[in-house]
Amino acid sequence: MLSILQAEWYKLRKSKILFIIFVGPLIGLFLGLTSNLSIDVAINEWYLSLFSMNLTYALLFLPLITGILASIICRYEHQAGGWKQLLALPVTRGKVFIAKYVILMLIVLAIQLLYLGAVYVVGMIKGITDPFPLEIVWKSIFGGWVATFPLVALQLWMSILFKSFAAPFTVNVIFTLPSILAVNSERFGPYYPWAQPFSMMYIGGNTDDIFFVPWDQLLTVVGGSFVLFFLGGYLYFQRKSV
Amino acid sequence: MEYVVKTKGLTKNFGKEKPVTGLDMKIPKGEVYGFLGPNGAGKTTTIRMLLGLMKPTTGTIHIFQKDLRKERVNILKRVGSLVENPSYYPHLTAYENLEALRKILGVPKKKIYEVLEIVRLSDVANKKVKGFSLGMKQRLGIAASLLNNPELLILDEPTNGLDPSGIIEIRQLIKRLPAEYGMTILISSHLLSEIDQMATTVGIVTNGKMIFQDSIEVMRMLSQQKISLKVNNSEQAWRSLLAKGIKADYKDDTVLLSEHSNKKIAEAVRTLVQDGFSIYRVEEEKRSLEDIFLQMTRGGKEG
Repeated sequence: MLSILQAEWYKLRKSKILFIIFVGPLIGLFLGLTSNLSIDVAINEWYLSLFSMNLTYALLFLPLITGILASIICRYEHQAGGWKQLLALPVTRGKVFIAKYVILMLIVLAIQLLYLGAVYVVGMIKGITDPFPLEIVWKSIFGGWVATFPLVALQLWMSILFKSFAAPFTVNVIFTLPSILAVNSERFGPYYPWAQPFSMMYIGGNTDDIFFVPWDQLLTVVGGSFVLFFLGGYLYFQRKSV
Repeated sequence: MEYVVKTKGLTKNFGKEKPVTGLDMKIPKGEVYGFLGPNGAGKTTTIRMLLGLMKPTTGTIHIFQKDLRKERVNILKRVGSLVENPSYYPHLTAYENLEALRKILGVPKKKIYEVLEIVRLSDVANKKVKGFSLGMKQRLGIAASLLNNPELLILDEPTNGLDPSGIIEIRQLIKRLPAEYGMTILISSHLLSEIDQMATTVGIVTNGKMIFQDSIEVMRMLSQQKISLKVNNSEQAWRSLLAKGIKADYKDDTVLLSEHSNKKIAEAVRTLVQDGFSIYRVEEEKRSLEDIFLQMTRGGKEG
């Protein structure tokens, strides 16, 4: 298993992945620096900054980037018979699928951590003097990562299914855009998987729980859709003829 | 006999299409098995099933006397393969392509330089494969298949896209491997001349069915030439030869000699001259392997 992970990372490292990893945090940085959100209520200034950054980042960028990453990790396998060469090696398809998934999740985690760095840099540049709300930032960063579990699973499935780069991306956009509406709806918002990164990163939710969304919502929506998408992709890959 | 590859009733259906039906393949150890058939006969489909890239609809596959369904990973550890068009990662260099595979195979790094040397790609090891010619990609594919010192090497149309000198190189390499490393090789081609120069055993497939499977010698026997004699009175000449104990056939007003050593032919001619026949022509009727192959594959189509 370790050897497959190493091979996957080796192939991915040599593609233009580093550039994409930095795009997210840079967008966050840009958003943070250009926003001038001000409220007259006395509130930790970090929250204000985080709030303006999270909106675009968690709502649009994070779900979309999962799709792009998944496409990249499958693209070079589709291009010139990579699948058949890879799967004719002494590996099981299950392990290849899991290896690709694990690599993707680690990259998303890296992006989240860089985003955390971007939040901090924005605060420094703006000269925020309030204490850094470490606990909440972690909740937001880590929670956002957890929320991408099902999204990455679905995108990996789609990227294995479609040879073209555009098809899985289209699927992703179709599902991601409605989350702008979904987060404004009290009825659908909590149940829409693509809205979960935003909900999980949205500070001001219930801070007593471990994350910003209640456990039962986390388990049913994020957990449930993860199981569905992961198994779907896993089983599809088992049967795929290459 | 010990068979490295043995399939029984191997069948693959894609809906109504049946690219492979009831194929029994037997590859003895240490042989170069030429898997011959016209384009679309089911060669690649068969090879994909042998590597577990595709599941057979029915039938069984045993490689190294192990069931492929149960011990796929253990079997593939000892198999090297090149399927159809060369497979590669365009964004990586030749070296990096092999390194990505090597990590999974767990062989030492020096093996990469070794296989690159074998296929003569050492000079371009650090160039992106994107810019390679088809022949270079093909050679990289062969290098990749040799990376794990396989006991069974499966090469699907390995000389596709190679220039004549490349073809000769690969041919020599393939002939060398069984002797030097004890490899068994399965090599597919639609060109009989190709197989004729490398294979020791031949399997001919057409329309998904195996229509011939035996050693190359047996196949060559089928192509043996006959000597035909045109004589003024053929039928009488034929009888006269038979009376003297010389084997001959009579067909279409010509006498056909099944013996074709110089001595026997001279003897037959002398006999006929002595008996007062006028001999107009002595001709060699040759059936090439190509003719036989065509005849066989055509026969398969009719049936």
